[in-house]
Formats: sequence, structure tokens, C-alpha cells
Amino acid sequence: MGVMSHSVKEGHGDPSETAVTPDGDPVLAARLTVPTVPGTFVRRERLVEQLTEGARSPLTLVNGPAGAGKTLLVADWIRAREPGEVAWLTVEPEDCAPGVFWTYVLHAFGHHGIALPGNIGSPARPGEVDHSLLARLAAWLNGRDSRVVLVLDEFDRVAGCAEVAEGLQFVLRHAGEGLRLVIVSRTEPLLPLHRYRAAGELVDIRADDLAFGAEETAALVDRHGLPLSADGARVLTERTGGWAAGLRLCTLAAQRAGDPESFLKEFEPGHSTVADFLLGEVLRVHPAETQDLLLRTSILEETHPDLANALTGRDDAEPILEELQRANAFVEPIGHSWYRLHPLFAEILRVHLGVRHPGLAPELHRTAARWLIRAGLLDEALPHAADAGDWELAAAEFIDQLAIGRLLTGLAAERLDGLFARMAPEASGPAPDLVRAARELAHHDVDRGVAYLRRAEENLPGGDGGDAAAVRLSCAVLRVLAARVAGSADMAETAARAVAQAERALPADRLERCPELTALTLTDLGSAQLWAGRFDAARATLSDAVRTAQGPSTAFPRHEALSRLALIDFLYGHPGRAESHARGAIAEAEHSGLPVSDGTGMARLVLAAVAIDRDDLAAARDHLDQAAATTTAARDPIVAVEQAILRSRLLCARGDSGAALLALDELAEQRLVSAEPSPWVSERIAMATAAAQLADGDPRAAVKVFEERPGHSCPEGLVAEAWARVAAGESERALRILDGLPGPGNRGPVLEVWGLLTRAQAVDTLGDSSAAESLLLKALTAARPHHLRRPFLEAGPWVRQLLRDRPALAREHAWLTGTLSRRPVDGRSREEREEYASPRPEPLSAREGDVLERLAQLMSTEEIAADLHLSVNTVKTHLKSIYRKLAATRRGEAVRRARELGLL
Amino acid sequence: MRYEIRVDGQMSDELTTAFPELDSFVVPRQTVLYGQVKDDSHLYGLLVRFQSLGLRILEFRRLPEPE
Repeated sequence: MGVMSHSVKEGHGDPSETAVTPDGDPVLAARLTVPTVPGTFVRRERLVEQLTEGARSPLTLVNGPAGAGKTLLVADWIRAREPGEVAWLTVEPEDCAPGVFWTYVLHAFGHHGIALPGNIGSPARPGEVDHSLLARLAAWLNGRDSRVVLVLDEFDRVAGCAEVAEGLQFVLRHAGEGLRLVIVSRTEPLLPLHRYRAAGELVDIRADDLAFGAEETAALVDRHGLPLSADGARVLTERTGGWAAGLRLCTLAAQRAGDPESFLKEFEPGHSTVADFLLGEVLRVHPAETQDLLLRTSILEETHPDLANALTGRDDAEPILEELQRANAFVEPIGHSWYRLHPLFAEILRVHLGVRHPGLAPELHRTAARWLIRAGLLDEALPHAADAGDWELAAAEFIDQLAIGRLLTGLAAERLDGLFARMAPEASGPAPDLVRAARELAHHDVDRGVAYLRRAEENLPGGDGGDAAAVRLSCAVLRVLAARVAGSADMAETAARAVAQAERALPADRLERCPELTALTLTDLGSAQLWAGRFDAARATLSDAVRTAQGPSTAFPRHEALSRLALIDFLYGHPGRAESHARGAIAEAEHSGLPVSDGTGMARLVLAAVAIDRDDLAAARDHLDQAAATTTAARDPIVAVEQAILRSRLLCARGDSGAALLALDELAEQRLVSAEPSPWVSERIAMATAAAQLADGDPRAAVKVFEERPGHSCPEGLVAEAWARVAAGESERALRILDGLPGPGNRGPVLEVWGLLTRAQAVDTLGDSSAAESLLLKALTAARPHHLRRPFLEAGPWVRQLLRDRPALAREHAWLTGTLSRRPVDGRSREEREEYASPRPEPLSAREGDVLERLAQLMSTEEIAADLHLSVNTVKTHLKSIYRKLAATRRGEAVRRARELGLL
Repeated sequence: MRYEIRVDGQMSDELTTAFPELDSFVVPRQTVLYGQVKDDSHLYGLLVRFQSLGLRILEFRRLPEPE
């Protein structure tokens, strides 16, 4: 076994090549390596010329049936002509998930020494890839001095995936001279080929081109040491249709025949299909051991002598494979003792295997799975365990290797989910149940998830061995997630302790390989604590989550943790910190290519909340719209509630308190998904209702909201009640409430400002106008750094009056006075917008940059849409966002501002 | 949906086992496979299977449903 593991490690090449993809798969160097061209290969100049010609156009298509010699043609061209920098990727069916596909493409660049800048990022989700990531990649390719030839071999394996094709099309269009795409495929890709053809930007090499001519056949046969007359070559070409695989098999058969010359001349496939007949012929002349090895290893994509030995039960695989390789039959070496069977022959061999050894295939799959597991190749092993129907083995290994988190997050999630979806209901034991629980929880079916979890817990293995610890750890990690969904911080904390305990029984290096387990546990725990109003604990836990290793497997939990930290900052009244955490969360999502719809939306909500405090209502609405584009509100009660609250605040700010009250009534009637109620979340609803009542001119109703639910779970609630009391004329009561505020160290500027203003208003009503004035001054000073306009807008006429009476004060706080002098809210002048926007314009996204650039070229919206291959509506959305970020109202103004800011 | 697929050359008995859901017979230089095709994805799956075995399809047609 020692020898085996050693050779397998070699199989993955040097350490730089064994880099693990986000998928968790060790990247077999073979997928990224230009295949070796055998000595018997016949170079055909006419095709090489076509490929060289193709490298001058954006797209080359090598299209032909299986066995037409497509791959070797391109590989030989690369060796012969060295067309500059080349990245090679042999596509696999799982690449149909765009996130996985682009991960491998980026990997291919790296593998071939094309160093990508870090800011391009990498996809974190298998199903989708963010457009901005592709835009960054295309822009970078476009900006380089030299071009890259990207070869995608066996592209037919993802031929049905429109999203992959769209992404390729986009990158190809925007990479300009920087990218040349060569697609090798049995079927036509879903690219708009007619457009490329019409523009003369496509070189097409098709089945007819690939077919051997008589002279080429003669050269091929000659290369095998079998001279053939011109006439013989013509006949052979005719009979095989010039099909490379047919010719190759025919030559192999002739080599073994008594009289090769007459075999070739008289070769008559007769009435049989070429490959079927020939393979039978060729197979027959090999010794029985070789035939047996070929049949048994046909279940594998790639084989290794030790693995082949495991399948045959003999120990002669190495010489057999070497001999087959020398004879140029069936197998090709892919480096480090690994071999690949020609896919066409493997397919036919599998059919023969089924006929000669019915029922053997599952047995072989099981043996292969066990061997691959021992070799540490879990991802390669799982499909074989599944094909063997050995779900206990698959699940047990999956749990034992601490892979459970990969069902919940990261690029492998969808593939693993699909794999285990086939799991037989009969598979029993804690491991299969844990896998089922994880799948249900990932699909947000908590009841079924918990039922499986419970069954797994009833059958937990005893002992302190590594296996038992892995089961306990997986169980506890899922428990934390279930507790979070149930809204129970106590349960989450208990489960998190169980996680820590199980971790102690496991070696550190095994845990280090699964950073997603820690990130998921901490984020789920922190979320449960947040829901329960344990803000300090939540902040500490979520900060730990953010400190976990950055990478595709942790991108989503980190994004969630940052978003929730932003919310906590906001609740404590720290707009600056809230904003920076929210922007961090968004950056994490963008860098990892998380599509907007997969983000939590919470970061956007926090930005909207901060914008409302600043009275930047246009920005607030924009952020709210973006938050609404996510799908989380349905599952995350905090997001659902905040979204409704912020909408109501926006409505109030626009003077429509009636609509705000209606919306809040609806919210109060909704049942939130969590089993346990959250003290502060319901208080937030109450506060928003009270604020809407105040805006509606009914302070009594506002006070009543608080009287119906005595006590406060967050400092913000305290201030809100005091505010309502002042408005209702209960100033002394308000002052007593404010005495309960936490110390200054624990409250941020927003709370500070509201507190001071409430107090000022209270003492003013009580007749102490000089104390009121000094409190107001303090409030203004505290508000200025963050431009917190909203409290002053809602404070009533006396603030305006005071500022009118004190011109010096008004001048000092020009950031506020412009806003105050205008009524209603929407009539703000452009100067003020600019005054607000100038300190720090929000950075434009790459896409917005594209749009802005075209705007500056005086292109119309429709023209921009056509040029960028976007819909007109999408362009309009980008324009809106650009205007907002640049505080502009028209095109000309946006372009002028962008020039001033050096963005153009 | 019933389909008939004509393939270039005579397929061996072994090779026809790759299409257990179809019946087949051979005619000079051709193999005819026929049978029930469940839906579109079955149809496309069949096409891929023919292609991956290096079989050339000469004709692919839908048969009228028996009365």
C-alpha cells in the first residue's frame, strides 16, 4: 500500500500543480496538459495551416466525430508552431456548472505560466459566476501586450450549457486581440457562430477536413512500418471513410496479421461498423491478460498500474500498459504513471465488458472506489462508490474526511448534492443519515433535516477514534445550522461546544484542510446569537468567522458574517463601521464571483439604513432595490423584517406615513420562519411603527406602541421611546428613560445624536432653552462627521428656528442647513447633492465603468446595450447607479463629474 | 414516441447491447434500431450514445403510432 500512495502522489505532479481547486478536487495535471503526440502521428500541413490561420481570428472550431483525430491535431500544432502563450483545458461534464468551468479556465492560465492578477478573483459557487469577474478577466486579457490561445478540448461535454457558452462569448468579445479561442468538440458549441462566420472571424475545421486523404493514409500506414501501394491506400481510405480511429485500428490489426500488406489491401469492413468490427479484431490478437485488463479498466477515465492490478487481481498491469502504449493501441500516457484509455475505445470496451462479464461492473466500481479512497482521492472515488451502489462506503468516507461542509458551501456543493441525490433509501447508519440531513438543510427543509440528524445521533458510534470524532463533528456542525434556523442561541451554543470537543479528538492538519467547517459553524452560531439579541457574543463569534482563511469554500460564510457584523454596528449606532463592514461583505461576494441573487442582501440593507440616516434617499432606495433582488428574505427573518422596516422609513421620509403604517401592519401579521421569537427584531418593528405614527402626527399612538411592550432589548429602543414621549409632551418621563442609556463607550454616534437631540427637546419644552441649545450644539458636532441629517429633520421646527437665529452656527453646519431649509424632502438642489457626494464617491463597478466610457463617447443607451451585449433595461439600471454614485442627474453632468474625479 | 434509427454498417450483437431499450435487425450494410423513446432528453441521450460509440447515423425518423 505504501508504494501505491507514493505513486499516486506523483500522479498529481509537483506541488504547484497539485493546487486544489475550490471544488476540492485535486486538479489532475492531465486536464491542463497539452497531450503528448505519439511518434506515429502524421502531421498534415493543410490542417496545421488552417489552425495557424485560425490563431489570427478570435475563434477556431475543430468539429468532428469521436476518433477523428481532433485533439492530437491541435496538440501537434501547438508543439510544431508554438503559437505564443497557450492554456489548455480538457473539459469534463461537471464543468457544465459555470462556476466550476471558470475555475478550471483560470487554473489553466495559471498552469501554463500565465499569471493572473489577484483582483480577478475566483468563483465561489458552482452554479453561477458573477459577470464582473468575467469582465475583469476580459479587460485584463485585452490590456496585455501578447495574446493567449485558450484550447478547450472535448467541449461537447458541456455543449448543452448555455451559461458556459454565454460567458465564453462575453469574454471573447471583450478580450479583443488578447484572446484566441480554439474549441475542440464533437458538436457545435452554442456560440453565435453565424455572426463570427459572417464577420470572417471563424476558422472552421470540420469532419471532412479531418478525414484522411489517400496520400495521408499511405503516410500513416508507412509510419507504422507497413508500406502500402497507392492503390491500397485509396481502397483503405474509401473503406474507412478516412476516419482516423478506423485507420488506426486497421493498422493495428494489420501489424498483427500474418501478411500485413494483403490484410490492408483486402481489408473489407464488409457490412460491419468499422470500430465495432476492428476493435473485436484488434482485441482478439492480444493475449487474454491484456484483453481482461482493457475490459476491466474501461470503467475508469484514467488508470494507474496499481489501480489496474486491483481491478484484475493480478500484478502485471505495468508491463501490459507499457506494451499497449508502445504499440500505440488504446492507451495514452498522461504522465506520472497514469494512463488514459481512448474515450471511443473505452466506450466500446464497456459494452463488451457488459456482455462478457454481466454484473461485474458494480464490483469493479467498488474496488476502484476503495483503491481511490486509500490513495486519498475522495472526489474521484465517490462516483465509483455511487456506481457500485455502495452508499454506505460513499457516505462513510465523505463524513470521515470531514467533507460535510462541502455539501453546504463552495464549488462542489451542487455536484455532491447531485451525487448523493441518487443515494438508495436502504443505505443506513449515521453517515448516510448525516449526508441526508446536510442535503435537506442545504435545501432549507429544516424539519426533514432535523429528523435525519436525530436518527444519526441515535446511532452515533462510541469511542474516541478518529472515525467517531468525525461523525460527532459533522453532527454538531449540522446541529449549529439547525439551531440557527430554529432561532435558538442556546441550542447553537451547545452544539458549538460539541463541535469544539469533537475537534479536539481530530488531528489539526485534517481540520486545516476544511476551513469551511469552522467558517460555517461560527457564522451559524453568530447568527443565532444575533437573533437572540446577544450582540456582544455575536460580534465576537462573527469576527472569528471573518478571520477564517479566505477562499472559495469560505466565501459565502465570510460574506454572511461580514453582513451581520455590519448590522450589529448599525444597531449600535456606528454608521462608519457599519458601512465598512457592509462594503467588506459586498467586496467578498464580488471577489468570489457570488452572484447578487445569492448574496444575503443584508449588507445592502445596512447601506440603505445608513443612507436614510444621512437623508440620501435616492441612494437608500437603490440599495433597497438591490437587497430585494436577493432571495434570502424568504428564509432569513432578519432580512425580511429589516427590508420592511426600511421601506417604511423611506415612505415616512417621503411624507407618506399612511403607506408606511400599512406596510408595518402587514409585517406584524406575518409569521416569521424561526421557531423562537427574537426580542429585538420585534422591538425594531415596534420602533418603526412608533416612528410612522409620529410622522403621521399621532404621538399618543406612538407612545402606546411602547406601553404595549414594556422593557427594551436594545439601546435604540430606549431612545425611540424617549423620542415619542417628548413628542407626546411627557418630557420628564423621557429624561428618566434616557438615563438608562448605556455608557458613551458602548453607543455610536447615531444613538448619541438621537439621545442628545431628545434630551435637548425635552429640556427645551421644560423651559431651559440655554441647556437645550448647548445639547443641540453637542448633537450637531457629533452628527457632522457622519452627515447624520435625519434626526435633525425629524426634530421639529425648533431646530430650524434656532439655526435661523444663529447664522454663524448655520454656516458652520452648512452640511445640514441646506437640507433643513428645503421642504418637502424631494426638492433638493444639485449643489447640495454635489456637496454631499464630493467627499467620497462610491467606486464604480467594472460594468458601470464600461457604460460610463461609452457614455463619454456620446453613444446612446441602445448603442451601449448593443455594444456590451446587454439589454437596454440593464444599461438603464447601470446608468441610474452611475448617476447616483456621481450625484449627477444627466449624462453630460455624469461625464463631467467622472472627468473631475479622474474616472475617465 | 416510437423512433427508427438507421446506422451505417452491421453492428455486432455485443454492440447492440449498448441500446438495451431498442430492438434491432440488420440489413445489408446497415443496422436498424427501433423502439420507444420516452422524451426529448432520452432522444438527445441516444444521439450522444451513438456518437460516443463511433456510429454513423444515416437516418433518424419518428414512426407513426400504431392505431
